[in-house]
Amino acid sequence: MPTHDYIPHAAGYVDNDGPKIVTSRFPYEDSYTMERSEATGGYEGLRTALSRRPADVHTEVRDATVLGRGGAGFPAGVKWGFMPPGKFPYYLVVNGDESEPGTYKDRLLMERDPHQLIEGCLITCYALGLAQCFLYVRGEMALAQERIGQALNDAYARGYVGKNILGTDFSVDITLTWGAGAYIVGEETALIESLEGNRGMPRLKPPYFPAAIGLYGQPTIVNNVETLANLPWLMQNGADQYTTYGSETAPGTRMVAVSGHVKRPGVYEIEQGVTTFRDLFYGDNFCQGIREGHELKMFVPGGGSAPWFFPEQLDLPLEARAVGAAGSMLGSGALIVMDETTDAVKAALRLVRFYARESCGKCTPCREGTTWEERVLQRILDGEGRPSDIDMLLDIADNISPGPYPVAADPSQDLEAVPFPPKQTTICPLGPSSVAPITSTIRRFRHEYDAKITKRDTIPVSAAPMNAGAVS
Amino acid sequence: MTDTQDAVSTVAVTVNGAEIQANPGELLIDACERTGTYIPRFCYHPRMSPVGMCRMCLVEVDTGRGPALQPSCMLPVTDGMTVDTESELTRKAQDGVLEFLLANHPLDCPVCDKGGECPLQDQTMAFGPGESRFIEEKRHYEKPIAISDTVYLDRERCILCDRCTRFADEVAGDTLIHFMDRGNNTQVNTFPDEPFASYFSGNTVQICPVGALTAKPYRFKARPWDLEENLSTAWTDSVGSRITVQSSRNKVLRVLGVDSESVNWGWLSDKERFAFEALNSVNRITQPMARADSGSDLASTGWAAAMSTIVDVLTDVDPARIGVIGGARLTNEAQYAWAKLAKGILGTDNVDAQLGDGLPAAVVLGLPRATIADACRPGGTIILAGPDPKEDLGALFLRLRHAVVNDGATLIELTPHRTGLSGIAAHSLHPRPGELGDLAAAVVAAGSGTASDAAGVAADAIAAAAASISGPVTVVLGRASLAESSAAIVDAATALNGLADVSFLSALRRGNVHGALDAGLAPGLLPGRTTLADGGEAFAEAWGSVPESTGLDTAGMLAAAAAGDIDVLVLLGADPLSDFPEAAAAEAGLAGAATVIAIDTLPNASLVAHADLVLPAAAATEVDGTFTNLEGRVSVCEQKVTPCGTARSDWMIAAQIAQRLGKDLGIESPAAARAELAALSAVHGDLTEAALAAAGVEGVLCSGNGSIAEPAGSGSVDPANDAYSLRLVATRRMYDAGTTLSHSPSSAGLARSIELRLNPADFDKLGVEAGSVVQLISNKGELMTPVIADPGVPAGSAAIPANSPGANANQLIDASQPVTDVRVERS
Amino acid sequence: MADPLDYLRGFAVTFKKLFEDRVTGDYRGGKAKEGAPDNKRPKPERFHGRHVLNRYEDGMEKCIGCELCAGVCPAKCIYVRGADNDPDDPTSPGERFGYVYEINYLRCIHCDLCVEACPTQAITESKLFEFSFTNRNDAIYTKNELVVDDDGMPQKMPWEDWREGDDQLTSGWMRATSSAGDHRYEGSVHWAGELGYGVRAPEVGQSAGTISTDGGNSPAEVRSENDG
Repeated sequence: MPTHDYIPHAAGYVDNDGPKIVTSRFPYEDSYTMERSEATGGYEGLRTALSRRPADVHTEVRDATVLGRGGAGFPAGVKWGFMPPGKFPYYLVVNGDESEPGTYKDRLLMERDPHQLIEGCLITCYALGLAQCFLYVRGEMALAQERIGQALNDAYARGYVGKNILGTDFSVDITLTWGAGAYIVGEETALIESLEGNRGMPRLKPPYFPAAIGLYGQPTIVNNVETLANLPWLMQNGADQYTTYGSETAPGTRMVAVSGHVKRPGVYEIEQGVTTFRDLFYGDNFCQGIREGHELKMFVPGGGSAPWFFPEQLDLPLEARAVGAAGSMLGSGALIVMDETTDAVKAALRLVRFYARESCGKCTPCREGTTWEERVLQRILDGEGRPSDIDMLLDIADNISPGPYPVAADPSQDLEAVPFPPKQTTICPLGPSSVAPITSTIRRFRHEYDAKITKRDTIPVSAAPMNAGAVS
Repeated sequence: MTDTQDAVSTVAVTVNGAEIQANPGELLIDACERTGTYIPRFCYHPRMSPVGMCRMCLVEVDTGRGPALQPSCMLPVTDGMTVDTESELTRKAQDGVLEFLLANHPLDCPVCDKGGECPLQDQTMAFGPGESRFIEEKRHYEKPIAISDTVYLDRERCILCDRCTRFADEVAGDTLIHFMDRGNNTQVNTFPDEPFASYFSGNTVQICPVGALTAKPYRFKARPWDLEENLSTAWTDSVGSRITVQSSRNKVLRVLGVDSESVNWGWLSDKERFAFEALNSVNRITQPMARADSGSDLASTGWAAAMSTIVDVLTDVDPARIGVIGGARLTNEAQYAWAKLAKGILGTDNVDAQLGDGLPAAVVLGLPRATIADACRPGGTIILAGPDPKEDLGALFLRLRHAVVNDGATLIELTPHRTGLSGIAAHSLHPRPGELGDLAAAVVAAGSGTASDAAGVAADAIAAAAASISGPVTVVLGRASLAESSAAIVDAATALNGLADVSFLSALRRGNVHGALDAGLAPGLLPGRTTLADGGEAFAEAWGSVPESTGLDTAGMLAAAAAGDIDVLVLLGADPLSDFPEAAAAEAGLAGAATVIAIDTLPNASLVAHADLVLPAAAATEVDGTFTNLEGRVSVCEQKVTPCGTARSDWMIAAQIAQRLGKDLGIESPAAARAELAALSAVHGDLTEAALAAAGVEGVLCSGNGSIAEPAGSGSVDPANDAYSLRLVATRRMYDAGTTLSHSPSSAGLARSIELRLNPADFDKLGVEAGSVVQLISNKGELMTPVIADPGVPAGSAAIPANSPGANANQLIDASQPVTDVRVERS
Repeated sequence: MADPLDYLRGFAVTFKKLFEDRVTGDYRGGKAKEGAPDNKRPKPERFHGRHVLNRYEDGMEKCIGCELCAGVCPAKCIYVRGADNDPDDPTSPGERFGYVYEINYLRCIHCDLCVEACPTQAITESKLFEFSFTNRNDAIYTKNELVVDDDGMPQKMPWEDWREGDDQLTSGWMRATSSAGDHRYEGSVHWAGELGYGVRAPEVGQSAGTISTDGGNSPAEVRSENDG
């Protein structure tokens, strides 16, 4: 039986009685204040860290295998190790530009517990010897900006941030900044460009990863909000304690945001690698099942960029490797659940339209391809679709993401899963992300597309030689 | 070089099964192109940093982790790399990218200026899918919008390759165009109410891989298959940028930059690019004109009659009463012919190619010489003691900027006020006008430990500048302000010559002025950087005779003419009324000369007011020959179109005058003049036809100082400070009221009218307000001008542009003084 | 010895033909006297005669001054220059119009490559071939002579011998696909409806079988939709 339901002051958060590593203060209405934070063990992790050698802090994080929670799922401790030695200054950039469709966990973490995040930043800076941290918050998140700003002021006043923190000779400045509202700035190199005051467009990597050449050309660590929010708890309780939660490859908890046709959508803190999709959607502690009278048709397991899953994948654990091998990703931890009333083509269009609008325009396949996909899907829905359109969509997708695109297995068609990640002709993964809904739905629900194709009489486009056109 | 060294210095890359040797650090796209495998590209440009945006250069690369598509413009070669530019995967990617690019590209090809020479067309034919599946409505924008006075932008055609925006940002430093909006609506545009007013905007048209950016002067003028082209050299300033001159139906329609490693890297200033319009002007002088008497207008006449007049006025005249002013417009060959005519046949040494607005020949020719590449050496120091290169020598500005921004060169400015390079200069020192010599001496002294205040600049600033001097030093030396005499610059040059490892790059601006000095068009000079004293004997033998003593310079000739001591004044493409620093002296001189013969392409103020006889000259695109740039680099200028009307080449006019005088100039072609110059000159020995042909776009560098000795200090004394006056600074701008520009329709409107710039601190003292119109008074004249505040002008200086439309600064300047003092009064 | 009658037999064909109908027409190039016959054989449908520069029905010129005709011309007899349209009083749709258009008929070989190259169907050929000149300047037709009149009919120069129907048959050309991406045109080889003067059915063999049979898609219908 659920012990708690929605908490009014933390809109969308549902307490599921499981372990609470990052959401421990959420039940308090004033969880974002310095007073509440200090009363509930705030900045104790920092004190613990400061009592140890920085290298030991780094080792602790590496031992705990804190996986990045932003999308790629790369272990933070390993990422920290990529910083080239001796090329000072280093920077820490906190990626709070959470805008993946369906995701709103970082917003809650920033709004409800900014001190936990600041503490995480400080621990990171201490471990890596950094003196400057930038907190980049999504432009639309006014409340998060306000609360982090207040929390930073309080933390400066209490001596947690600034010169000689807690009387040690460790000094860090944390700068709060926010974007102008662009999804692409969630990509780390685009975020760095934006932070430098340029137009938020991704940089090509390789040759240079931010850890080597990042903000202002200096080595830069970019970490997700939730990743850093884990560190205070980790410092206080240790890696041994941390790894008792979750699975061996994915220890700890993570926050997932479930939306769509479930009875109780919301943000849950779950154990990684233990909880399955079925637990999450149908468990009483969690979403309590698909809405009355309907059944699951499909779901997006890791934010809008992830290839879609279907009922066959329900028993997979929420764990990056397992999900990756099955043809998708956990990504930002946003799950979108759709029941049988959902039109697969319309759902695909909705997501593709998002990527077409949010493409930064830098590289050709994404700029032109996403819009083209959107317009073909719209045309199919408008009753102007032609038989060649479906294969054309797949080919446009192939020109953005060449080769087999990650997709879930389909026993009914004897089709095997194609594991994550996709290849790309683009600079960043935004273009390939737009392909996910298309390949996922065409592979599974081609009949739905076929049913919408009305222009059966037209000759396939490829029959027309292009160079015979003229101005008219 | 042994095989072992080869293996160390190159990287083995397998391209399409064949192994190639690439240089370490070289980009894959370059290595492939160099070895004969062309990879299609749109955004990549070898003179700008790669961005990997267009994705056209994706090729299948295996660096040991399995083959994958990688942008070859962003990928440095590594040893053992395997590349397949023709694989199924590569071709599919190229097809895909081209189909994406064409999806929203309008079918404007028939009306597009780029159609026929368009990389998008070419690469679609070579690598494209041959068919499009895009049947939706294309993206629409307002058809061409003028983003500057010379450039149109058609956003529908744009493929967003970032070339123009990168050029504006990285190369020119004028970040006035940028991307806006996003996704499929991403577009290049200017900022609201800020036009793309860059002196280098034309380059974006040239590097645009589609017809999105087009140039107003070429709009709809011709199609590429109409055009014939010649490699030539830009003539509007002394950088000697290599260009290709394109014409159709005997009319020059377009000038494009050519990538010359040693000079302009393919870039041009808009003046170099668009000033050809003047040569097509309806105002061109097409036939000889004569003035019956001083009160009447010029009337057309014939060549025979004109030549008779010339013979009449030149016969039985004391050579000392003949003067020749100008010659920087001419080719080297014509300059040599005129030097021979004046000094060898007419016997006068009153010859000066500069109009009192340059530097003494000894300073230009007698100091250790530097090339542009020398000045741009990574880790070197550039000392700018001259005009603002952005205004005067556009292509040189781009090279210097690149050296400072990208190659770590240190720039120290010793200029009268801020310049286009101040933003990237390590130190900007602005001496009081007329005291540059003191400042230079103080910088040199500070280098050896004793810093003191000088020329109004504080000691610590001088010490800091001196401390930053490192590596080889190049002094870019020129005449920054027409309102100060060259004496201070001579002193500065002699002082800076005391620095270690120093060399000098001349920044005289006017066309082929360096060729003119090399050809001996200066008093006391003979062709090949030698003097009457040193080379007189040899030239007397070759020419028959040379003048016995050093003659007058332009200022001297004008003064002599005003005093009635000059009978014949030849203006060889010169306009003293506009260009001589002191208008009154020029007016008196021209009025005082008994006969003024003007040989020119376009009518100018002096010609219209004072010429008694006008001969039409062929312009730069109408003659064969060579130009010498500020480095001493000689490059070819080839005839593209026939001379306008009955105009003749300048060398031909010289030869005819000699013949009419019963003498033989011995020159029957430009090549003959060149051969004679090469044979007689100490520095042109390498200038053979074979060398010129072999040098291609790079030209032949004629180095060495000949027999010109290093200059001594001028011995001038600092001008006294007058607490009630401001010192005048008159600097040139790229766009002024000059003859060429005012006859170029698309550039004429760009010349801004006069404005006085004062340091904000001076306003209170003077009791005037910014924005008001004031009276500027010197002992020579007065001007009405609006005044604006400019913190880049040091206190105590009054900065105005030279030769602006409607008001020329030379009405104020006293050329006989080291500096001109002015007073500002409320009008 | 030859039979003397062989001589007369040799004339048998001649005498026979004397009383048959003549194959050749009585063609006098329009200079026949009053009442005399002046028969001219019908010209083939694709006969290449003197060019015309077409206009749209609203009077706008179709020529955009792109010079593709001049570029493709093997005899180099076409001289074109483009210029900016006055936005307030445009000569042609779009940015550019043919400012100068000249054809030198002393050089033209009537190969029709210009017609094929033209992206806007601005230049087509009439059936007129009878024109001769008494001075070279007359042989250079400028835009003034080439452009069609307000009824879309070729202008008739005094030295040209126009016969009835020469203008009606102003030649057309084929296009293989649609220009503006209208999918109804795809793959259909058709005559463009707005071409030149007069509209004709597609040539036999040019369109048969290339169009699906369920209607609404044949070139003729497409054209009529367009025209309507």
